[in-house]
Amino acid sequence: MSAIGELRTLRRDGRGGLTADQKQALAKERRRDSKAAAVFLAPWLLGLVGITIGPMIASLYLAFTDYNLLQDPNFTGLENIQRMLGDERLGRSLVATLTYVVVSVPIQLAVALGLALLLDRGIRGLALYRSVLYLPSLLGASVAIAVLWRLVFGGEGLVNAFLGLFGIQGPAWVAEPDTALGTLIVLHVWTFGAPMVIFLAGLRQIPRQYYDAASTDGANKWQQLRKITLPLLSPIIFFNLVLGLIGSFQSFTQAFIVSNGSGGPADSTLFFSLYLYQEGFAGFRMGYASALAWLLLIIIGAFTALNFWASKYWVFYDD
Amino acid sequence: MTTETLATTEPTTRPGKRPLVIKHRRRRPRVLAHVGLILVAVVMLYPLLWMVTSSLRPNDEIFTSPGLLIDTFDLSHYPDGWNALSKPFGSYLLNSALVVLGSVVGNLVSCSMAAYAFARLQFRAKTVAFAAMLLTIMLPVHVLIIPQYVMFAQLGWINTYLPLIVPKLLATDAFFVFLMVQFVRGIPRELDEAARIDGAGHARIFLQVILPLMVPALATTTIFTFIWTWNDFFSQLIFVTDPDLYTVPVALRQFIDAQSQSDFGALFAMSVVSLIPVFLVFLFGQRFLLRGIATTGGK
Amino acid sequence: MERRARRAALAGSALALSVSVAGCGIAPDPADAELSEGEVTLTMTWWGADARHQSTLDAIKLFEEKYPRITVEPTYADWGGYWDRLATTAAAGDMPDVVQFDQLYLSSYAGRGALLDLDAVPEFLDASSLPDNVLASGEVDGSLYAVPIGVAGNGVVLNTSLFEKYDVPVPDTDTWTWAEFDAAAQAITEASGGKVRGLSPFGADSFSLEVFARQHGDQIFDAEGDVTIDPATVAAYWQRELDWIESGAAPDAAALSEKAGVPLDQGDTVVGNTAMAFIAAGQFTAIAAAAPDFEYEVADWPADPDTPEGFQYPKPSMYWAASSQSEHPAEAALLIDFLVNDPQVARAFGTDRGIPASEAFQEALEPTLDEPARKLLDFTKLVGERSGDAPPITPNGASEIETMLSRYNQQVQFGKLSPQEAAAAFIEELQAAVDAAG
Repeated sequence: MSAIGELRTLRRDGRGGLTADQKQALAKERRRDSKAAAVFLAPWLLGLVGITIGPMIASLYLAFTDYNLLQDPNFTGLENIQRMLGDERLGRSLVATLTYVVVSVPIQLAVALGLALLLDRGIRGLALYRSVLYLPSLLGASVAIAVLWRLVFGGEGLVNAFLGLFGIQGPAWVAEPDTALGTLIVLHVWTFGAPMVIFLAGLRQIPRQYYDAASTDGANKWQQLRKITLPLLSPIIFFNLVLGLIGSFQSFTQAFIVSNGSGGPADSTLFFSLYLYQEGFAGFRMGYASALAWLLLIIIGAFTALNFWASKYWVFYDD
Repeated sequence: MTTETLATTEPTTRPGKRPLVIKHRRRRPRVLAHVGLILVAVVMLYPLLWMVTSSLRPNDEIFTSPGLLIDTFDLSHYPDGWNALSKPFGSYLLNSALVVLGSVVGNLVSCSMAAYAFARLQFRAKTVAFAAMLLTIMLPVHVLIIPQYVMFAQLGWINTYLPLIVPKLLATDAFFVFLMVQFVRGIPRELDEAARIDGAGHARIFLQVILPLMVPALATTTIFTFIWTWNDFFSQLIFVTDPDLYTVPVALRQFIDAQSQSDFGALFAMSVVSLIPVFLVFLFGQRFLLRGIATTGGK
Repeated sequence: MERRARRAALAGSALALSVSVAGCGIAPDPADAELSEGEVTLTMTWWGADARHQSTLDAIKLFEEKYPRITVEPTYADWGGYWDRLATTAAAGDMPDVVQFDQLYLSSYAGRGALLDLDAVPEFLDASSLPDNVLASGEVDGSLYAVPIGVAGNGVVLNTSLFEKYDVPVPDTDTWTWAEFDAAAQAITEASGGKVRGLSPFGADSFSLEVFARQHGDQIFDAEGDVTIDPATVAAYWQRELDWIESGAAPDAAALSEKAGVPLDQGDTVVGNTAMAFIAAGQFTAIAAAAPDFEYEVADWPADPDTPEGFQYPKPSMYWAASSQSEHPAEAALLIDFLVNDPQVARAFGTDRGIPASEAFQEALEPTLDEPARKLLDFTKLVGERSGDAPPITPNGASEIETMLSRYNQQVQFGKLSPQEAAAAFIEELQAAVDAAG
C-alpha cells in the first residue's frame, strides 16, 4: 500500500497513536485539500451566493407577508401559516401529491432498473432499444402530450377500445376524479428514460472483473445480481431515489398540461406545485404561495434526510 | 500502472468473451427478452408515431383520431409551420442551440468541479455545504422567479441568454453535481493514489484520472442538460421577451392559444422538427454511456 | 473564507429583498404627461396565436410610419404564458408600456395601481368612438383604465350541419323559449342515438353565469365589487346543467370533464360531439374556421315570456391598457389612440380580436368580412340593440372566478356537492378572495 494510502487508513482508523510526522503529514494534506476545495467549489459558491441564495431568502421573507405582486409586501407574521391549517385545498393537494410520489417513484425506479439490467446484457439492437425507450422522456412535457393523453385515456380512448375487446366498459380515465391521478402516475412511470439512462451509465462503471471472478466461483446470475450488481449500483439507485423524490414532489408540468392548469377534475390532480402556482399567479397571493413553497421544502427536506439516514444501511461506497 | 494507461478507453464487445458452450442455452431467454423489449418499445414509440402522423393530417382530424393511419396525407404543415412565425423556424432552433450549448458546457465544467470537491476532498462544513446544495433544488421555481427576475433585471440581463446560461456556469444545477458525486465515489480511490505517488496534484488527478473515468456521467449530464434546456419553457418565456430571441419551446406556443384559433398541425410539425436535434444528440451521446471503467481494462 | 461567504450571502439576499419590492415605486403623475422630444421606444405586449401576432406587427408598422420618432418593441405569448410573464414583469416594475388586457384581471391590476389612468391623458387618447356602455366596462372606480377592443355577447352556437344530418328542424332562434331549446337538444340526442348530444351546457364560466343571472334579474357583483348574487341563482344555474346531463341532452359528467378547459379546436362544438353550445360569441369565427366541414349559426339565448329584457350585454373580449410605471405615458396613450381609432388598424386586425366595439371600425371592416364574420357582426349588432347596462366588471381579487367556477362545477357534475352546497361555498370563497384583496 502506498504512503498516502496508509495515511488515509490512519485517518479512517482514528487518531490514536499517530507519530508527530504522521500528524504533520495529515495536517498538510488537510490544508492541501481545503485549498483545492476552495478552487473546485468556487463556481458553485459564487452561484450559491450570487444567484441562488438571494431569491431563496426573498421568498422566505415573503412567506411571512401578504404580497399581491403589484404592491409592497405587508409583513403579517404567522398569518399564512394559520391559513394553511384551515386550508382544505391544501389538504387535498397534499394527499394527491403524496399519493403520486409514493406510488410513482418506486414503480418508475423499478421499471427503469429492470430495463437497464436487461439492456446492459449486450443484446443485439441495444442502441436502438435504448433510444426507443428513452423517447417518451423527450416528449414528456410537450403540449402534444395533453392532446394525446385524452385520446389514449379518454372515454372513447385507446385504452377503453382495448378493454372493449374483452367486453369491459372502462371509465373516462382522465376525466373521473377517481382515476385521473392514476393516469398521471402512468405518465410519470412511462417517462422512465432518465433514471434508466443513469442506471445504464452506473452499470457501466462496475468493473467487469468482478463478474468474471464470480463466474469462476460458480455464482449464478441471480447471485451475481445480488452480490455484485446491486451493491455496486446502490449509490446510483440512491441517487435516483433521492432525486426522483425531490422531482416528483415538485411535479408540475404534466399535471398542468393534462388538466389545463386546473388540477382537475375536482382537484384530484392538484399537485402541490400546481396549487402554489395558482395561489401565486392566478390569485395574486404570492406571500401565501411562498409560505407553501417553504412548507414543501420542509417536507422534501424531511424525506431526503430520512433517505440519507437510511442510506447508511444499504448504500455501499467503495471509497 | 500509470495514469496514462488507465485513461485510455478501449471499447470491447462483451458477448464475444463468453465461452461458446453456454451460448446455446442462452438463446431462449434472449428471444423472450427481445419479444418483451419490442412490446415495450411499441408502447413507447406510439406517441411519437402519433405525433408524426398528426403532423401529416389536416387540422380537424387531429383530435378525433388516436390511430396511426392517415386518410388524407397532408405535408403542408411542414413548410407552413416553418415559415408561419415572424422568422423562419430555423432561427428559433439556432437560438435554442445557443442556450443549450452554453448550458451544457457550463454544467459539464462547473458541476464536475464541484462534484470532485464533494467526493474526494476533505474540508470543513462539507456536510453542511452538501445539504445546502440539495436544499437549493427543493423550492419550486414559481416562487423564485420574481426575485430572480428582479435580480437579473438589475444586472441588465433581461432579454439576453445570460439568465439561462450563467447559473449553469455556476453549478446551480445540483442534480448534476449530486449525480457526478455518486459516480466519482464509484471510482476506486487507489487510482487517485497511484497518480498522487507520481506527484500529481488535485488538478491533474481531476483532469487525467477522474474525468476520463466518469465519461458515462458526463455523457448523461450532456444528454439531460441538452434535453431539459431544449424543452424548458418557463424560464425562457420569462427572461427572454424579444420575439427575435425566442427559443423553440416559446416559439412553439405561438402556434396555439387557448382562446383563439390555433394551428395544431403546424405545432406538431415543428415539434417533430425540434425533436430531431434532441434525438440525434441522444443517439450520438449514448455511445459515450458505454465507456466507463468497465471497459478500461481495469487495474 | 466562510465569513466572507456569509457576508456576501447576506448582501445578495438584501439586494434581492430590496429589489423585490422595487416594482412598486412612486408612479409619475399621469396628468403631467407630455410627449417627449426625440426618439422614444415603447414596449407593447399581447397574447394570442400566430395570426394575431402578424396582424398586430402590421399595425405597429403603420403606427411607426405615422410617428417615425416612436419605436415599438413588441413581445407576445400564448394566454397562459402571457399572464405569468405579465405578473412577473409587473412585480419587478418592468411591465411593458402598452398591454393587452382581459376583463378578468383588469381590476386586479388597476385596483393595485399598476395601470395608467387613461382619463388623465385626454389630449393623446380619445376613446369617444366607443359606445358608453362598452367604455364603462373599462372603468375601475370611475376612471378609465382600459379601452375595450372588441366586444361580443354570449350566444348560442348552432351546428346546423348536425341538425340537417339528423333531420331535426332548427328552431326559430329569434323567438325561442327554453322549452323549445331543450326540445331541440333532446331531439338531436335521440335522432343520433346518443352519438351526438344536443348541447354543451354552461356551468363553468363567469360570462354565462352573468347572463343567466341577468335572465333572473340578478348579477354576480355589485358596483362595490361585492359578491351579491343570490345563492339560489347559482344553484339554479348548475341545476339546469344537471338536468341537461340527466335528460341526455348534454354529454355525461365524465365526457364534459374530459373536455373541460381544452383549447377550442378540441372542444365538442368543433369536433361535432354536440350540436349547440353557449359561447362567448367572439369565439364564433375561430370555431367556424376550425371546423370547415360544419355550418354554424350564432343566436341569442332562449328567453321565456317572463325573462327580463336586456339580459344580454356586449362584453369586451379584450382591452388596451398602459402601465402606470411607463416612462412615456403620453406616447403610450398615443399608441392606444391609434389602435382604437385608425381605420387601417381595423383592416389589419379583422375580427381576430372580436368584432370591434366602435361603429367606425365596424364599417371599415364590413366589406372585407367572410361569411362567419358577417354572422358574428350581425349577432353583435343584435346584442347591441337588445343589451341592457353593462354589469360591474370582475373586481379586484376575483380573478380566480373562472377556476373556482370550473372547480365547483365539476364537484356538482360528479355529485360530490349539491348545486346548493356548491353555490354557497363558491360565493363564500369568491367573497373571501375579494375581501383579501380589498
